[in-house]
Amino acid sequence: MCFPRSSDEVAAAVGVARRHGRAFVARGSGTGLAGGATPLDDPVVIVTTQMNRVLEIDPQARVAWVEPGVLNLDLSRAVGHLGLHYAPDPSSQQACTIGGNVGTNAGGPHCLADGVTSAHVLAVDVVLADGTATRLGGLEPDSPGYDLRGCFVGSEGTMGIATRIAVRLTPDPPCVATLLCAFDSVEAAATTVSGIIAAGVLPAALEMMDAPITRAVEDFVGAGYPRDAQAVLLAEVDGLEGGVAEQVDAIAEVARANGATLVRVAADDAERALLWKGRKSAFGAIARIAPDYYLHDAVVPRTKLVEVLRRVYEIADAHEVIVMNVFHAGDGNLHPLLVFDQREPGVWDRVHAAGTEILEACLDAGGVLTGEHGVGIEKRDLMPRMFSPDDLDAQARLRDAFDPDGVANPQKVLPRGSRCGELQRVPEGTWI
Amino acid sequence: MTGPLQLDAETLNACVSCGLCLPHCPTYRVTGREIASPRGRIAAMRAVETNEAPIDDAFRAAMEECVSCRGCEPACPSGVQFGKLMETTRAALPSPRSRVRRGAEWFGYRVVLPRHWLLITCTWLAWLAQRLHLVPARVGLPRLSARSLARGLELPTGGTPDAWLFTGCVMDAWLRDTHRSAARVMGATGARLAQPTNGGACCGALHLHAGREAEARALAERVMQSMPGVAPVVVDSAGCGATMKEYGKLLGSADAHAFSERVRDFSEWLAHQAAPRLRPTGIQVVIQDPCHLRHVQKAHGAVREVLAPAYELLETADDGLCCGAGGAYVVTQPELSRRILDRKVEALRAAGGGADPIVVSANPGCMVQLRGAGIDARHPADLIAEALDE
Amino acid sequence: MTAPGPVVAPVGARTHWEIGGPPTEGAVEVRAPVGVITYEPADMTITVGAGTSFDTLDGVLAEHGQECALDPRSRAATVGGILACGLSGLRRLRHGPVRDHVLEVRFETGDGRLVKGGGQTVKNVTGYDLPRLFVGSLGTIGVLQQATLRCRPRFPRSRWFAGSATDSFRASARLWDGAREAVLFEGVDADVESQGRGLAPLDTPPALPDGPHRGRISVAPGRVGECTAALAGRVRWCAELGVGTVHVAADEADALVHARSVSHAYGGWMLREAGGPSDDDGFGCALPSAALMRRVKDAFDPGWKLNPARLPFARIG
Ligand SMILES: Cc1cc2nc3c(=O)[nH]c(=O)nc-3n(C[C@H](O)[C@H](O)[C@H](O)COP(=O)(O)OP(=O)(O)OC[C@H]3O[C@@H](n4cnc5c(N)ncnc54)[C@H](O)[C@@H]3O)c2cc1C
Ligand code: SF4
Ligand code: SF4
Repeated sequence: MCFPRSSDEVAAAVGVARRHGRAFVARGSGTGLAGGATPLDDPVVIVTTQMNRVLEIDPQARVAWVEPGVLNLDLSRAVGHLGLHYAPDPSSQQACTIGGNVGTNAGGPHCLADGVTSAHVLAVDVVLADGTATRLGGLEPDSPGYDLRGCFVGSEGTMGIATRIAVRLTPDPPCVATLLCAFDSVEAAATTVSGIIAAGVLPAALEMMDAPITRAVEDFVGAGYPRDAQAVLLAEVDGLEGGVAEQVDAIAEVARANGATLVRVAADDAERALLWKGRKSAFGAIARIAPDYYLHDAVVPRTKLVEVLRRVYEIADAHEVIVMNVFHAGDGNLHPLLVFDQREPGVWDRVHAAGTEILEACLDAGGVLTGEHGVGIEKRDLMPRMFSPDDLDAQARLRDAFDPDGVANPQKVLPRGSRCGELQRVPEGTWI
Repeated sequence: MTGPLQLDAETLNACVSCGLCLPHCPTYRVTGREIASPRGRIAAMRAVETNEAPIDDAFRAAMEECVSCRGCEPACPSGVQFGKLMETTRAALPSPRSRVRRGAEWFGYRVVLPRHWLLITCTWLAWLAQRLHLVPARVGLPRLSARSLARGLELPTGGTPDAWLFTGCVMDAWLRDTHRSAARVMGATGARLAQPTNGGACCGALHLHAGREAEARALAERVMQSMPGVAPVVVDSAGCGATMKEYGKLLGSADAHAFSERVRDFSEWLAHQAAPRLRPTGIQVVIQDPCHLRHVQKAHGAVREVLAPAYELLETADDGLCCGAGGAYVVTQPELSRRILDRKVEALRAAGGGADPIVVSANPGCMVQLRGAGIDARHPADLIAEALDE
Repeated sequence: MTAPGPVVAPVGARTHWEIGGPPTEGAVEVRAPVGVITYEPADMTITVGAGTSFDTLDGVLAEHGQECALDPRSRAATVGGILACGLSGLRRLRHGPVRDHVLEVRFETGDGRLVKGGGQTVKNVTGYDLPRLFVGSLGTIGVLQQATLRCRPRFPRSRWFAGSATDSFRASARLWDGAREAVLFEGVDADVESQGRGLAPLDTPPALPDGPHRGRISVAPGRVGECTAALAGRVRWCAELGVGTVHVAADEADALVHARSVSHAYGGWMLREAGGPSDDDGFGCALPSAALMRRVKDAFDPGWKLNPARLPFARIG
């Protein structure tokens, strides 16, 4: 394990690893939920936490250069006085690093309108697997040749290590409104989500919580969520006054048409902040009441939300595990939370089975395996459910182009056998 | 499951390794090392507890590097009681091998702190050394005043007052003027005060943080006896207050719980009285929340409440991160303590708009630490006493 | 892995045909399927054959009050061509570059496999980001078959104004040609009006410079001022403020070469869009990470059958 302080030291660490025939793994704060930073193959762990300086802020161009160990929230704080912020806001933003965010292409509630990490990273200085340093992307709007920056973001440390990152800063909106809507059923809330999108409204954030979560959050934070609701939606719109007012009306209308029992607009910043605090502490609130939980992450088309959520509850029932839902509804990013007590014999198998079935239900509905947590080790072996052998082979070759010897974070993202050469080619359609 | 550290399995398992505590941990912030973080320390405890790892020097170092600020506790979604884990772990650590260190610890914890007269004598010696310029300013020892040391606190001892003013050990020796301010302000509300009878001199906080639980218990019993009755026990040292509020947990007895219920931080107590008249001074002060006031007592709001009528308050942008004082921490981990302090000073200066600000801090340890860095640190009681409109 | 066979040049509507230089003599031209494959308005995503023209795409989306802000210079351009060239539209300041609009791509690689990358949902981090890799690859890593795009509601009002708007929140575009500045606001009536207050409305959008020799410069937005000052006189230009794209046009081929070297002097580069000395192509700077890019090319087109004579590798790397 090593703690480099500069790009050169990262390169040196990679060099040492290579000379000793060892693999290496980049690690930020280790908050990743897919096991991306878990060391496999006895690697040198390169921890970026001491590379934590904001190097440069250009308020005119709205760009900041940061080292990878800078914490997400620290960056927004460092530019707050300029009326700017860093838009991707994972719930773990107080603890996770920008380098880790680049590694996982992290998202957050406010990525619905603003886009995830990839849309906010302009350039990355990286140390590649052979120890050489290079810049991917640049401050110019486009770079000549292939968009390697785009490939690197979300590559979970398998294409090298980011040592300096140029991020785009976003101006704070002049006007923000947050709506709280409550419903008698999860279905009504989910229908409202689809309805809002269908009505041509693109909120800045659109989050949903079901009844158990809402109650837990209320007990924990006391944010003013209705305890008797079966589901609540938290919608935020921002921008200029006129547009905000119009979107608030549109959302309220869709919610009421779907039988909302409560539609409330936060009266001031304090109430707004409290509602968000509640939402962002959701996992914390659950952690306090549940002995153990397993958090999933999958995305479905927004039109399929109602149907998939129904399946999620059915599957959990069938396996006799408790499921709670709190998620980024606006972009269909589900986070089913399976709650259990690991002391109960056999419970792990049930949780596991339910989790896999839920993911499959999402895929069957045209969804994808992960929306923001990444593949890591956790979903590596499910990749063939979404990609054909040729798809995986192409990804493996791309990875090999960056890291021909497979030493950058080995055994992550792609399952064994992704390269077609690794197994005899099977005839089309017989992939198991 | 209880292993070599005798930790409560439930408390240990409550950690889900999410890492949300990391940015709130001062030692992690300055080192960036996992083993210097709450999550890393818990993982190390777990490894020892399940006999996967020995109690070796590395483990001891990892535990001793913790400031016991408990900044990790409010940040933890799982409600991990880190303070409890750390105290139990330290209590289970075998005593250090170095003879000199063992001797010094014995002298400090067993001999000096519990004997108030001895502490005062030592302080006189320190005063002498200071006059002879033997103490570098960096050490942050407050400028000791012979007048103040020679003069007692003019408060009745014992009796049935409206409120007790707890005087403590180090604070009484080094910052007795602050007690005077506190007494003046409290007096201005019309309350009748008293100081504890003999024996109530040391709350045992330092012992507890060092894992000397048995000694801490004995001291706690003495403190409780020194302030009988039902009157509130007002404490102007945040570290002492935090410990005394947890006597209930420490001793487990009904008496101890009842006593803990009576303990109030100075500002907390004042905020609930008919406020004495203050004149607006127009002076800006930067607030520094002592960890044990903010993370343990959660009484940091009261400081703002009582100061606001007289001062213009400025906040730091570091989420109340520790200053590195941590009781005896300055002495046991000077290097880490200084790095944490440097970070703190930067945040304080930034809050003060670049210039050296007046900083308000409700804990003697923090005041001493900050003064060592050249910061003009004051106690809320002193600031309020200055603004009293009498 | 190299399969014998001819060199291939994917073809769209030829609206950007000159970009990247002339294809290999005798290359087999291949075309992508045309038409909408799925469109779910309530999802705000659309999947189309890569040969579909922007005009068709926009027409279909308009029926549901939506759009996809690709904004090519010519509405005849195909989705495949727009993505391959990676040319972002004028509204990039607000809507982001082309690469941010692509959710999933399916393309045929140089060794004849059909490869899918990305996913059809609006959020996805499953596997490597092949859609972004494809955007701007100039037809050298695959022949795009179909793409899934992210759409958004059309704005009720959209209006250009003459004047400066440095402090306005979320202008959709800001153009500057050295003499005049124009700004585009989009949104509800009230917001467009309030933002345009004090500015003179324009009836037609400002025209980009035209001529037989055209290109677009990419420089850091902070260096647009210096760069355009150095361009002055030799070429006609119009800069996208806040983005860093400078559109240039000239009557002589030499002038375009000059513009390219100016861009390089200010840390940028230029993509030749039309005209110019086609035998002297390039970006005005060395190809960054050239060895790595070659390996990427090898990975998808081991036999170098796809547009081998064109940029990014031809002549410069
Ligand atoms: C309570 C909680 C809530 C969360 N909420 C969200 C959420 O809302 N949205 C979301 O997207 N995620 C969320 N996460 C997941 C996690 O916080 C993110 O994945 C985050 O981006 C990880 O950052 P990290 O610094 O902890 O990286 P790590 O966990 O240390 O690493 C993550 C991956 O990135 C790689 N990596 C790290 N640094 C670098 C580098 N410098 N260069 C290249 N690769 C690197 C690692 O190898 C690894 O594969 C949450 C996690 C928790 C515990
Ligand atoms: S008590 Fe303080 S120093 Fe110790 S682990 Fe917690 S936050 Fe870190
Ligand atoms: S926040 Fe709590 S649960 Fe999370 S790592 Fe820290 S101590 Fe463990």
